[in-house]
Amino acid sequence: MSDVAPPTPPDGVDPSGLGPEVRQSFVERYSVAQRAEGILAPLLTTVLAFFVGGLVVLVTTGKNPVTTYRAIFEGAGWSWFFEIGNHRIGLPWSDATVPFPWNVDDVESLAAVNLQQTLIVTTTLILTGLAVAFAFRCGMFNIGGQGQYLSGSILAVWIGTSFEGMGAFWHIMLAVVVGTLAGAMLAGIAGFLKATVGAHEVITTIMLNWIVIWTGSFLFGVGGPLQNDTQASVPFSNDILEQARLPILWGDPLLQGLHIGFFVAIAALVAYWVILNRTTLGYGVKAVGFNPEAARYGGISVARNYFLAMAISGAFAGLAGAIDILGWQFRLSTGDIQTSQLGFIGIAVALLGRNTAIGVFFSALLFGSLVTGTSTRNLDPEIFQPELASNLTLLIQGLVVLFVGADIVILWLLRRLRRRALA
Amino acid sequence: MSAERPVVLEMEHITKRFPGIVANDDVSFDLREGEVHALLGENGAGKSTLMNILYGLYHPDEGEIRIKGRTVELGSPRAAIDAGVGMVHQHFMLIPVMTVAENIVLASEPTREGVLLDIRAAERRVGELSERFGLAVDPRARVQDITVGQQQRVEILKALYRNAEILALDEPTAVLTPQEAGELFQIIRELTSQGTSIVFISHKLNEVAEVADRITVLRRGKLIETLPAEGATEASLARLMVGRDVLLRVDKSAAKPTAPLLEVNGLHVLDDRGIEKVRGVSFTVHGGEILGLAGIDGNGQTELIDAMTGLRSLASGTVKVEGVDITSRDVQGHFDAGLGHVPEDRQRRGLVLEFSIAENLAIHDFGSPPASRFGWLYPRRLLERAARLIREFDVRGGGPETRAGALSGGNQQKVVLAREIDRDPKVLIAAQPTRGLDVGAIEFVHRRIVEERDEGRGVLLVSLELEEILSLSDRVLVMYEGEIVGEFPPTATEEELGIAMTGGGRKVEAA
Amino acid sequence: MTSLAVPIAARLPQGLRRVAWLGIAIGLLAAWLALPPLTIRSLVPSVVLALIAVMLGVGVAIRGERRFGAFAVAAGLFGFVLAYLATVSGVGKLESVVVWSALFAAMLRFATPLAFAALGGMFSERSGVVNIGLEGMMLMGAFFGIMGADKLDSWWLGLLVGIASGGVAALVHAFFAIHLGADQIVSGTAINFLAVGVTGYLFIDIYGTEGTPTDIESIPDVKLGFIDDVTFLGPIFGQLNLMIWIAIALVPLTWAIMFKTPIGLRIRACGEHPKAADTVGINVYMVRYGAVTLSGMFAAAGGAYLSIGFVNSFNENMTAGRGFIALAALIFGNWRPFGLAAACLLFGFSSALAQRLPEYSQSAAVLFQALPYVLTLIAVAGVIGRSIPPAAVGRPYRKQ
Repeated sequence: MSDVAPPTPPDGVDPSGLGPEVRQSFVERYSVAQRAEGILAPLLTTVLAFFVGGLVVLVTTGKNPVTTYRAIFEGAGWSWFFEIGNHRIGLPWSDATVPFPWNVDDVESLAAVNLQQTLIVTTTLILTGLAVAFAFRCGMFNIGGQGQYLSGSILAVWIGTSFEGMGAFWHIMLAVVVGTLAGAMLAGIAGFLKATVGAHEVITTIMLNWIVIWTGSFLFGVGGPLQNDTQASVPFSNDILEQARLPILWGDPLLQGLHIGFFVAIAALVAYWVILNRTTLGYGVKAVGFNPEAARYGGISVARNYFLAMAISGAFAGLAGAIDILGWQFRLSTGDIQTSQLGFIGIAVALLGRNTAIGVFFSALLFGSLVTGTSTRNLDPEIFQPELASNLTLLIQGLVVLFVGADIVILWLLRRLRRRALA
Repeated sequence: MSAERPVVLEMEHITKRFPGIVANDDVSFDLREGEVHALLGENGAGKSTLMNILYGLYHPDEGEIRIKGRTVELGSPRAAIDAGVGMVHQHFMLIPVMTVAENIVLASEPTREGVLLDIRAAERRVGELSERFGLAVDPRARVQDITVGQQQRVEILKALYRNAEILALDEPTAVLTPQEAGELFQIIRELTSQGTSIVFISHKLNEVAEVADRITVLRRGKLIETLPAEGATEASLARLMVGRDVLLRVDKSAAKPTAPLLEVNGLHVLDDRGIEKVRGVSFTVHGGEILGLAGIDGNGQTELIDAMTGLRSLASGTVKVEGVDITSRDVQGHFDAGLGHVPEDRQRRGLVLEFSIAENLAIHDFGSPPASRFGWLYPRRLLERAARLIREFDVRGGGPETRAGALSGGNQQKVVLAREIDRDPKVLIAAQPTRGLDVGAIEFVHRRIVEERDEGRGVLLVSLELEEILSLSDRVLVMYEGEIVGEFPPTATEEELGIAMTGGGRKVEAA
Repeated sequence: MTSLAVPIAARLPQGLRRVAWLGIAIGLLAAWLALPPLTIRSLVPSVVLALIAVMLGVGVAIRGERRFGAFAVAAGLFGFVLAYLATVSGVGKLESVVVWSALFAAMLRFATPLAFAALGGMFSERSGVVNIGLEGMMLMGAFFGIMGADKLDSWWLGLLVGIASGGVAALVHAFFAIHLGADQIVSGTAINFLAVGVTGYLFIDIYGTEGTPTDIESIPDVKLGFIDDVTFLGPIFGQLNLMIWIAIALVPLTWAIMFKTPIGLRIRACGEHPKAADTVGINVYMVRYGAVTLSGMFAAAGGAYLSIGFVNSFNENMTAGRGFIALAALIFGNWRPFGLAAACLLFGFSSALAQRLPEYSQSAAVLFQALPYVLTLIAVAGVIGRSIPPAAVGRPYRKQ
């Protein structure tokens, strides 16, 4: 009769017949928000989370939130940048020194020590954040960063305490590679299960977390096969051999100085960007993450990408665990295994960093500062109780995830502010 | 015929704005008791918006609604139901895993002892209603197990159960065969004879002329005219609807079929639940011809295409391209062998909406030179190609780096077409290539498909639209319940095809 | 005879499923052989039986009956591990670990918090909202339950406070997931983090490093005098916590609500096709708010049982992934009360076993703590694809 348009969904109705709730993955919505508001939304998220956290401080303890945050800021070592004076810094590979505005000597500057601590934690958080971010880009939520991080640690302890007399370079490489692979394999299990039977990665990775935690507790626990040789009643491992410890860049090797793992993390950020934007692997991962159905129709193997993305994601976390052990922890106790949180904080880091390399760097710095600044060692107990403050960190982290998850709130707030500014 | 009957519904000066468009611009509409008043217009003319306002799903920005003379505020579907309005949506609002009776009584359930659901009473009530209005359907059957025609009856019963006196049917024949549509018209006559008033929304001129008492034509949100059905011709209605004389047929020369390019032999395919959806399908597509595959939705077309393109594993059978057996290859292998595939849902399957146009164009070949080498991607080369194809296919609304999701439907489809055709396929499989497009875009797609045929490619056109099939194809196959039940020339009538599509006059498999 | 036997035979599981049940039975038999009272001191029969069970399970799983195949494989592995441990340990030790009545009683104790959370999760997911925050809501219930019982000197007020706290956490989840259309997984994760932060913060703030006091009034046990002397049943059911009985009662009750009342029909409609529910006048937002809030209250009740009914103290993050196990039980049980209850009993039993093992070997017992999580992993892997979730679960509904 005529070439009048065939029946289509009327205005705004979803052709799937499931109602207007168009199936939009988190990643999709995410990048929309990203384009829309750039850096403003994460900033506002942070401010909001800190504001609520401050309210909690005020209501429960009656203490001034500003003073508390200031103490955390100082505990994180940022005050170091304000201690400008006439100092000198040593040049690498020589004994020569040159003038430098900041004091790099730990004996003289407590702030320098604190800042080193913050950067050490930042190193870990960059990597665990990248782990979560990479899985996100493939449309998966890797909640198992903690387990993958721990499996990297456990294997690195095992390698790092064995093979006495091995060359330092090769020993470190071996431990790092094995730790990284351990994380990759653990996450790979979740990726494999998702790819083959469709098991939701959130449940499988959480279960794998607990399996690793209990396995680790068994290994290093009393009577466990990897428990230390000297104190039979204390549940921790042997110390990492000297030769397998990472070189220190800045600070006292005995007082946990900043190790070269920091550069590894920076390199990982670059690698993350390159993989996603300049390789066919990244293209496939992103296509599957945005729209698995269209990727499949385009000839991309969804299952393969699920598996690969999870394995790479786990590799970042496993790497974090390995360099933490070789860089500053040097031993693992069952207590560390049960209470460690750095893998989980990676989730907030990735979400706040909007899964971009640069974003992950800055939000890792933020959470690194929070974690260090609220630790028992760094926070001035006269101002705020550190045990309380470390829970405050968890609280702020939860708020960040909550607010980031609902980017709409933030966008809505932003628009209102803008409208008011225009009016 | 019903001029003297009382007016039951008046919608006066309705205006509804959405961001960017005015969906209804000062539209007035009235309905008399026991009449069928058709609402005619193209996609996007504002028919569904008007009905969604009537059903309380949208709220008008201006205007007034009166039911039986009383002004009503229809703030929600509940309010509309209470005011005696019922609606059968184009996409059924039924819950597949629940029974017919459960679907019908939902939210107005009969109870026992105040708290318990009285499913027996519900089934009894449904039985009574279906008898009274001649709507045969088993109240205990699950919705997912009954036919589309029966599902539509369930929708009508849902409205009648809620004592609807005004019933809006949104494109009710879109999912029906011509025969089922005939049965629906019978039901409509039965309903009106018992006093129900019906708003019949459609863009199909012939059925409007057949069933309606009065016709209101909408175009781009504006009321064009309300006229009695008596005396209205299809041509005059078409002019009112589109605003110009419509092109009735696609211009094309006679086909010059060459060698067989795609041979499908004895294909059997199971769906996700393990049910055999394709049962021994064989056909051949020659170079230089368009083979149309007609059939009602859900008769195995989707599974057939998926199996032919490697997206779904097949139980048995072979697929050959230019004599080469590609059955066991993966999806990419099918593309590499010379198949092009325009998937049936461009937004969900055809494009990654978050990707740029350039990235979308690369989805088949990003893994090989020149797009990449040893896993290293060359974004600049993707952009260069995209710039070329955007010119060639007249994609408007953005450049190579524009997000595909930001394009209009027609331009999105051009991107998909460009991608598939640029790979110089031997056979192009186009599934519902014009679904949801406006007239201009449809013309473009149709013209391009004919051009590809004239270049010597084979085209397999799968469509639910008989008009499209008949105006484009050189041969037509009809698929019913997983089998090819007949082959027709393009001169066949819709009625002939319709009979085959419902399993009437089954024939031996076509070659 | 035959007239009676036929309907019974017709009700027995058919085909593959029957084979799978056989595998499960054989797997359990493998374990049972090696345990008291039989205590066969050879590994051979158990290994053979376990192997048969695993093979049957794999065979069935390959042919498509994945859920029951996984069950059979799990039963076979379970039988093998148990039989191995039994044969290498002394008979005396064995008899102290494997006291069937005590094991079953412990199973009920461990299954109860899971059952509360899983039943709650059923309401949420049936209405279309994924509730991955069950874990956090449980934790809220555990802390606020014990805090309430302490400050108000009453176990039942404590229980109410706990339940209310879970409801509040669920409301936050509901607001973000339903009103703001946030990703439900992310907002659930946020609830979990927040719960750890809130409870940890207040725990330190109120109780410092000493922990909760030991004299807090706890939820009482129900003593059934008449059953005490009955062999086997007496030790199991004679003295169970009130919350266990409530959980047992809730299973048929929630089943009736979900499948036999208009409310249940409407909840399910919202989870299957929210638009359809909307067009017949159901307020989808309200139903989802109600269901999510209810799920938080249920989960919190389970958490409160943990702190003031079971261990009578609180420590940071004490729920230890139980909310996620409950979620797995929900999937495993196909979003149905009786199914998920059976899954909770399975997980409860493995916890009970792990808890009794230190008598056998200290370090192996630590490893055995991982057993429930391994079982959950197997269960989730085996069951997906066979379990059909509510069609619209996880999708925010936008009204026009």
